[in-house]
Amino acid sequence: MDLLIEYRSQLWAGLVTTVQIALASLFFSVALGLIGAWAKLSANRTARALAGAYTTLVRGVPDLVLIMLVFFGGQVTLNAIGAATGLWDYLEVSQFAAGALTIGVIFGAYFTETFRGAILAIPRGQIEAGISIGMSRPLLFRRIVWPQMVRYALPGFGNNWLVQLKTTALVSVIGLQDLVYNAFAAGRSTDALFTFMAAAFVIYLGLTALSDLGLRALERRYSRGVQRA
Amino acid sequence: MIRKTLIAAATLATLANGAFAQDKLRIGVEGAYPPFSFKQADGSLAGFDIDIAMALCAEMKRDCELVEQDWDGMIPALKAKKFDAIVASMSITEERKRQIDFSAKYYKTPARVVAKKDSGLEGTATGLAGKRLGVQRGSTHQCYAEKMFPEAEIVLYGTQEEVFSDLALGRIDAQLSDSLISQESFLSKPEGADFAFLAGDHTDVDCYGEGVGIAVRQGEEELRDAFSAAITAIRDNGTYKTVNDKYFPFDIYGGRPDGM
Repeated sequence: MDLLIEYRSQLWAGLVTTVQIALASLFFSVALGLIGAWAKLSANRTARALAGAYTTLVRGVPDLVLIMLVFFGGQVTLNAIGAATGLWDYLEVSQFAAGALTIGVIFGAYFTETFRGAILAIPRGQIEAGISIGMSRPLLFRRIVWPQMVRYALPGFGNNWLVQLKTTALVSVIGLQDLVYNAFAAGRSTDALFTFMAAAFVIYLGLTALSDLGLRALERRYSRGVQRA
Repeated sequence: MIRKTLIAAATLATLANGAFAQDKLRIGVEGAYPPFSFKQADGSLAGFDIDIAMALCAEMKRDCELVEQDWDGMIPALKAKKFDAIVASMSITEERKRQIDFSAKYYKTPARVVAKKDSGLEGTATGLAGKRLGVQRGSTHQCYAEKMFPEAEIVLYGTQEEVFSDLALGRIDAQLSDSLISQESFLSKPEGADFAFLAGDHTDVDCYGEGVGIAVRQGEEELRDAFSAAITAIRDNGTYKTVNDKYFPFDIYGGRPDGM
């Protein structure tokens, strides 16, 4: 316990990094998920093919492999371009941006499917009814599609988010010092690995419990119209 | 064609050297391998590797920056130029040499023979002839024991802990293992109080490998040789000893690079 207090600034710094990466990547993956779901349901064959390739590829490759591929492979490619054109010798790829973007891209594929399923769950007749009374596309989306899509998507969204939160632990491999990395380093350094791993466990549990509360509030809000009295 | 390639290579080399001369030298270190590298409560790095890295930088008169990197991404990060060298207790192995280059070793904890303080044994082929010498089965120490002490009766154990406990019980006369491990897990404990190292460091390259070196990208001979020269220099001027004695009760350099 004394050790935890001694290393509290390390744990705190790790926690902040973990939360920042998780939120930044959530932003990317929700954006990608919405675009992906739109593409998969669109009449445009190219958009469907692209979205299909994206979800198949990304969901088929282990997260760790993708992170290393994007970060180190991206850097090597950048270096090679720099060497070939003579424009730069070394351009630093930000670890935070690379980590958040890669995890965002990975989970964007899962969100694509979550959102696609949610949109498909909306009765077709409602959309047709909207069109028949002359609603514009944006209005139709705002009034009919979005509120119901969110409600149908929330359980899957919650699942994805919790997995995403824990996947951020993989960014330590590209040199980011997240909660797991800092806890591990402190544990090894003080010969008290178990203490620090237990602390990380409790902190993650706290984060997921908080997420649960938030998700439940969202679910209540988006179920207002359909809740039983 | 060949000439074109040569010109291209020369141009690249010039570019690389240009950067090499002016930039800060970035050194990849770990931070979770005490006492070689570990984190203090304020998040700063400390340890033998860290101090050696700083000493080498001072010796080379280079401005250095330490970059903390998880062990799993260490070699990829070096190759992607995230940093220019690795000082993280990385053993020089044939497999790694296919990807990266190594300086001369900067340490190689020698293997040493441990026996009872008053045993009067000598850690030589004749000194251990007919004696029971314990080693861990399948280890580098078995390789060395069979090579160097052919007349000793070699007793094999599944784990190093069993070697220590049988030595303490008197079932074997001596044991051969890594000096740092003997020191930390046996000699410094109550059960090892009556025991001591026999004279002689054992660092045979065939069995024990080349030791721990500083890794650089392939083709950066200049940097690699600068590190090797700086290692020799700090060995000679006493800086190495100061750092060594801060962490270890004996010299972990392990003799001259050519073996014994």
